[in-house]
Amino acid sequence: MSREMANEIKLLSGSSHPDLSAQVAGRLGIEIARTVSLNYSNQETSVTIGESVRDEDVYILQSAATGDVNEGLMEMLIMIHACKTASARRITAVIPCFPYARQDKKDRSRAPISARLIANMIQTAGANHIITMDLHASQIQGFFSVPCDNLYAEPSVLRWIRENRNVEQVVIVSPDAGGAKRATSIADRLNASFALIHKERPRPNVVGRMVLIGEVRDKVAILVDDMADTCGTLDKAAGLLRDANAKEILAIATHGILSGNAIETINNSSLSALVVTNTVPLGDKVSRCPKLQVIDVSGTLAEAIRRTHNGESVSYLFTHVPV
Amino acid sequence: MRGTLIFSGSSCPALTAQLCENLGTRPGNAELSQFSNGETSVRILTSIREKDVFIVQSGSPKVNDTIMELLIMISACKGGSANKITAVLPYFPYSRQSKKKSQRGAITARMLANLLIMAGVKHVITVDLHASQMQGFFKCPVDNLHAEPLIARWIRHNVPNWREAVVVSKNAGGTKRVTSLADALKLNFGMVTTEKKRGNMCSSVIISPYDSFQRQPALETFTQNQTAPAPKDEQEQADQQVDDPPPATTMPIRSRVRANTQGSPQRTVGLGIRAPDQIRSDDRSITPTQQRNGPDGAEDSEYDDGRAHEVTQGRLIRGHIVDDDFPSPSTSTADGSVREDSDPMTMSHASSFFAPAPAPHALGGSGDASGETDDEEAILKDPKIEHTITLVGDVKRRTVLIVDDMIDKPGSWIAAAETVVKKGRAKKVYCIATHGVFGGDCLEQMQNCECIDTIVVTNSFPIREEQVKNITKLVILDLSFLLAEAIRRNHYGESISPLYQHIVD
Repeated sequence: MSREMANEIKLLSGSSHPDLSAQVAGRLGIEIARTVSLNYSNQETSVTIGESVRDEDVYILQSAATGDVNEGLMEMLIMIHACKTASARRITAVIPCFPYARQDKKDRSRAPISARLIANMIQTAGANHIITMDLHASQIQGFFSVPCDNLYAEPSVLRWIRENRNVEQVVIVSPDAGGAKRATSIADRLNASFALIHKERPRPNVVGRMVLIGEVRDKVAILVDDMADTCGTLDKAAGLLRDANAKEILAIATHGILSGNAIETINNSSLSALVVTNTVPLGDKVSRCPKLQVIDVSGTLAEAIRRTHNGESVSYLFTHVPV
Repeated sequence: MRGTLIFSGSSCPALTAQLCENLGTRPGNAELSQFSNGETSVRILTSIREKDVFIVQSGSPKVNDTIMELLIMISACKGGSANKITAVLPYFPYSRQSKKKSQRGAITARMLANLLIMAGVKHVITVDLHASQMQGFFKCPVDNLHAEPLIARWIRHNVPNWREAVVVSKNAGGTKRVTSLADALKLNFGMVTTEKKRGNMCSSVIISPYDSFQRQPALETFTQNQTAPAPKDEQEQADQQVDDPPPATTMPIRSRVRANTQGSPQRTVGLGIRAPDQIRSDDRSITPTQQRNGPDGAEDSEYDDGRAHEVTQGRLIRGHIVDDDFPSPSTSTADGSVREDSDPMTMSHASSFFAPAPAPHALGGSGDASGETDDEEAILKDPKIEHTITLVGDVKRRTVLIVDDMIDKPGSWIAAAETVVKKGRAKKVYCIATHGVFGGDCLEQMQNCECIDTIVVTNSFPIREEQVKNITKLVILDLSFLLAEAIRRNHYGESISPLYQHIVD
C-alpha cells in the first residue's frame, strides 16, 4: 500500500443522523465507512466496524435525536472505543449538537455538571479531538483536555438572513440576557439594530414574565438563540414582539431540538418562520410544521473535517461559509 | 448505619427499598427525571458531604438511560463532596461485551468500567459477573458477589430429590459455573453443546474439556444404524413428549439419513412406505421410546467406546429438537446457502458482513467459549442452519438443573431443555440463572416450553410485574440480603468472604 493510501479520512456515522453524515461524506467525496450497530434484546448497544481503521484518521459523526440522547451517546462512545481498540491513529468525535450542554454548571446544591461528565466520558472512551457546533456555553471547551473545535453556525445564519430578508428592516432580538452576546454579534455583522427580551425563569423549561428592551415597531424582528427546545420562550417572545407591533417575527436557532409540544407551539405562535440548522435530526417535523425551515451546515462540518485532517487552520470557518 | 446514604437508580427501586429495610435505613432522597429532549436529570435532595454513598443501579430495558443516570448520580455525588462513592450493580450492564469478539469490536464492558471510575466511583459491588476477569478492568476494588450459595440453598429446600439431580451446563463456556454448583451440592454434572452442521463436513463432538472422554468423530456416529441398548421408561417419556413432531408414518415417502464416505449425512429416498415399527421389528431391536425419538432409524447414539456411553446427540433446527428424518435445511435449499465459516477475511466483504441476519462472528467469538451465548442465539434461529446438539452425561429419569449466569434469549435454554428431556429422558427440568434479563418474549416462550418445569432467577435484574402476569413457572430469589450484607460489611470494614461460603441449613 502506498503512502498516500494510508491515513485517510474515515467517516463513521452513528445511527442517529444518517442524512447529515451522507451530506458531509458527499461534500468530502468519500464513502461512509461500513459499521453495524445493533441492539441486543436487552437493549445493549453493539457496534462492529466493518472495515479496517488501522492507522487511519477516524471521524465519528453522531448527533443524537431528540428523546434518544442517551442511546446516541452510548453508541458514539462504543464506536469511539471500538476504533481505539482497532488501532485508529486519531479519533475525532464530530458532535454537531453537544448533549447535556445545558447542565454545565452547579446551579444548585449537589447538581451534577453533566456536560463535564460527558466531556470526560468522550475522552475516556478514546477520542483525541472534538468538533462541535455552537456550544451552549463556550466554557464547555475547557471541560476537555483534548482539542475541542467549537464551530459557529453564524456565517450560515447570516447568509440565510441576507438571502431571505431585507437587512435594512431587520432587528435582531435576543430572547434572553444570556444570548445577548450571540445576538449582538449577528446584529453587528448585519449592521442591524438590536433588542433584548428579559425573562424570569422560575424552573427549567418554564418561562415567567418577560420585558422587551429596544424598538421593533414595523421591523422584521429576528429572534436568535442557540437552541429551540420546547419553544415556550420563543412563543412568549414572539407574542411580546407582536404586541410591540413588529412587522414580521421569525426565529433562528442553531439546534432544532424541538422536544415536547414544540411543533404545536410553533404552529400556533406569532412566528412566521422558525429557521434551524440540520445539526439535529428533524425527522418528520419539517412536514408537520410548515413554518420550519432548515439551513444546511454540512458544508461547514465537512470543511472542518477536511481542514483538521490536512492540518489547516479552521478559523476561516468562524467567519465564512465554505462554498 | 451512620455516615452512609443509599441511593436508588430508577431501575431497581424495589430492590433498593428491600435492601435498605434489611439495613434499617431508608433510601436517600433523589429526584430522577428526564428533560423533554431526553436528557437525564438528577437532583440529590439530601446532603451527602463527607458521607459514604452507595448507589444501587441495575440494568433495565432502557439500559443506556440507566447507565447515564448512574454516571450522572455518581458525578453529582462527587461534585457534592461525598466521602466515598460505591456503585452497587446487581447486574453489570454490557458485561457480555467484555472482549474483542471480532475485528474492530468494542470492549464495551471495559469502557463502562473506565466511565465509572472517571465519574468518581471508588468501589464497585456486583453479582456474578459474566466473566470474572472483568474485575481487572477496574482501577478500584470490585466485590464480585456470588448468588450461588443462595441458589444452592433454594435447590436444597425446594427441589424434590435434589440429591439425585444432575446439574447441566447449556454451553461449554458455562461449565465452570456448573461444576462449582455441582461441587457445592455434591451432584453429578453434564453438558449440552451445540454445533453448526455444515454442508459436506462431518460434525464432530468436541468434548475435549473432559479428561474422561475422548474426541469422538461423528463419522462413527452416522456410519452404522445401531442402537445403544438402554433400559427405557415409556410412561415417563410419553408424559414429557406431548409436543413430539408427527411420527414418520404419516409421511408418504420415507427418507433416511445415511452416511457417505466422508461421514456426512446424505438423504436417500426409501422405495416403500413402511411404518417405523415394521422397520424396527425387522432390522433392529428397538424400544418404543426410541421410536418416538428417532422414528426413521438413524439413531442418535452409537458407541464402540465404553467411556462415551453418556454422549447423546440430537438435531436442532430453528432452535428445536427435530426428529432425525426431518428434512435437512442445508440440503433442501438449492443455493446451498450454508453460512460461511468464520474466515477472518470475509469480515471485510460487505456482502457477508451485511447479511440480513447478523453474522455469527459479528456478535460473538469463535475461539473463546465463555461468551458464546449471543452468537449461539443469533444463529440458532436461522432456519438454514442445522445444528447438532450433544448431551454429555447421564440424565435419565433424573431432575436436571440447567444453570447459566443469565437468561436473556430463550433459544439455547429451550434447546437444552428439549435435549435433556427428549434425548436424555430427564424427568424434570429447572432453568436456573442469576440474572433474569428476559429479553423480548423470552418468558412467554419458556413458559410455553413443555420441557421446562421451573425457571429460577434472582431479582438482580428488575423484572416488571406485567412480565410475570401469566408466568407460572418463574421463581424469583431475593438478593437484597446478600447485597445489604455486602454493603454493611464494606462500611464497617469487615470481611465479605463469608458471603461466598455455602451454609448448609
